[in-house]
Amino acid sequence: MSTYQKTIGIEVHCELKTNTKMFSSAKNGYGDSANCNLTLLDLGYPGTLPLINDYAVTLALRAALALHCEIHREMYFDRKNYFYPDLPKGYQITQAKTPIGINGYVEIEVDGKPKTIRIHDIHIEEDTAKSVHQGNHSYLDFNRAGVPLIEIVTEPDMNSSEEAMLYLEKLRSLLLYADVSDCKIEEGSMRCDVNVSISKDDTLGVRTETKNIGSIRNVGLAIESEALRQEKLLEEGIAIQEETRRYDDASKETVLMRVKEIGNDYRYFPEPDIPKLCLSEERIRKVQEQMPMLPDDRKARYQALGLSDLSSSKLIQNKPLSDYFNLFLEDDIDFVMLSNLLLGDISFYLNRTMKTLMDTTLTKERMLSLLQHLYDQTITTKNVKDLLEEFLETDKDIDTICKEKGIQNISDTTLLSTIIKNIIEQNPESVKDYQQGRDRAIKYLMGQVMKETKGSANPSLARDLLEEELKKQ
Amino acid sequence: MEEKLSKEEVLHVAHLARIKVSDEEIEKYRIQLKELLNEVDKINEVVGYDEEMMITPIKDEALLHSDEVEDQISFEEVRSNIPHTSGSFIEVPKVVQHE
Repeated sequence: MSTYQKTIGIEVHCELKTNTKMFSSAKNGYGDSANCNLTLLDLGYPGTLPLINDYAVTLALRAALALHCEIHREMYFDRKNYFYPDLPKGYQITQAKTPIGINGYVEIEVDGKPKTIRIHDIHIEEDTAKSVHQGNHSYLDFNRAGVPLIEIVTEPDMNSSEEAMLYLEKLRSLLLYADVSDCKIEEGSMRCDVNVSISKDDTLGVRTETKNIGSIRNVGLAIESEALRQEKLLEEGIAIQEETRRYDDASKETVLMRVKEIGNDYRYFPEPDIPKLCLSEERIRKVQEQMPMLPDDRKARYQALGLSDLSSSKLIQNKPLSDYFNLFLEDDIDFVMLSNLLLGDISFYLNRTMKTLMDTTLTKERMLSLLQHLYDQTITTKNVKDLLEEFLETDKDIDTICKEKGIQNISDTTLLSTIIKNIIEQNPESVKDYQQGRDRAIKYLMGQVMKETKGSANPSLARDLLEEELKKQ
Repeated sequence: MEEKLSKEEVLHVAHLARIKVSDEEIEKYRIQLKELLNEVDKINEVVGYDEEMMITPIKDEALLHSDEVEDQISFEEVRSNIPHTSGSFIEVPKVVQHE
């Protein structure tokens, strides 16, 4: 076991889910053909002036509130100056001095114990163009230039790769549920940079920054390999250099990108083209009021409705399912039954067919009808497996599907009684066993009933009828 | 107070601006840039630090744009201003991560 303690801070960039860019009215679209979402401003033409995207501010504010931040009522933007082809105007517009939110926090759970990760700040900025390097050239696509971003910066509050991954998963889930970003790491709409240092005592070691790691799992691997690299250097008596690295997926190691420029080299100064942006108390209150239900609140609510810790967590891991579940919160239904259906047969169907709930015919009304049939025991959970595919793909109601598929309506006591009488007649030995008080007998007879009805008999009704019939013998 | 910037300071600024400077120019800029800085320092003598920073001469609050797509230009319209293109990509000399 290493005698060094890791200290980890994380910066996350997230693209906001707007229609247009941060300072221009060009489309914010991922996956469109190169350089089709442009205005002159995005290309850095002289004479163009930035205008703040109102909705991007709302989303950034929502994110800041979801992370329990204090909100800057009066903000201005800053220019971060550097030369690179992905930034033709020579500076990135960001918020260095007046970030929209400061002093927030995210709660995570490490080995069952709560831990608070403090958020230093969350600020608004613009994305740069995307560059692809090939041969002797680089190729630029300005569709991404100016896409609204929020950058979320933690305090160095994490001490293990596990904590870092838990934080990222929690953050991702918060931003997804707050509906501010689609947080697709693989498409680059969420990007993670980690700062790692190690030390044997309470003083902080020299940190390195590993940029643009492609998955939450790789963040964990990058931290482990970077800490190990630093430890080896320190053990050899070599000082750690403050530098920027990247994680190489193939070698599972971090590799040097560049020795970090000193912060001053960016020559930050206030962006004179954008006057002050003020957030009224009313606007902040409105955004708070319209905040979608966040993961922790959902979990508490689900558990209050009787769902297990596991089921609640599983539902929350799947936002479309959780959102669907929430449609029923005001209804008088069996919530455990609903959650079991969603997490069981329905998830199984969706995974198998690679569909989403939106692709099915499962309206709220149809789900209520399915629940009612199960509640009345006019169908069994076994029946659900047989009828689900058709129920999710067509508009047919349950009774019609049952009729067409020959799924027997086990609420039919007359039918069940007839079946049971026949079975009793065919199994006199078992009847005798039952009369002599042998438990096995009734189990055997129930098995015969299920076999005869191909599993579609309502077990409790069948058992009642069976016992009733046996007593008559 | 030093009357000139150091050679290293000039080279550093030149590097940030991605320009090459000759030895002759370095000597010239050591003096000129220092003179500029001295001028800027004079502002501090006039304006007190406690005064609110002026971001922009416009007193009004920032204008916002609604989240609707407009004013887009086609790539064809800007192509004539771009020396090299490849398909609808803009081609530039290879930029590897900073030196």
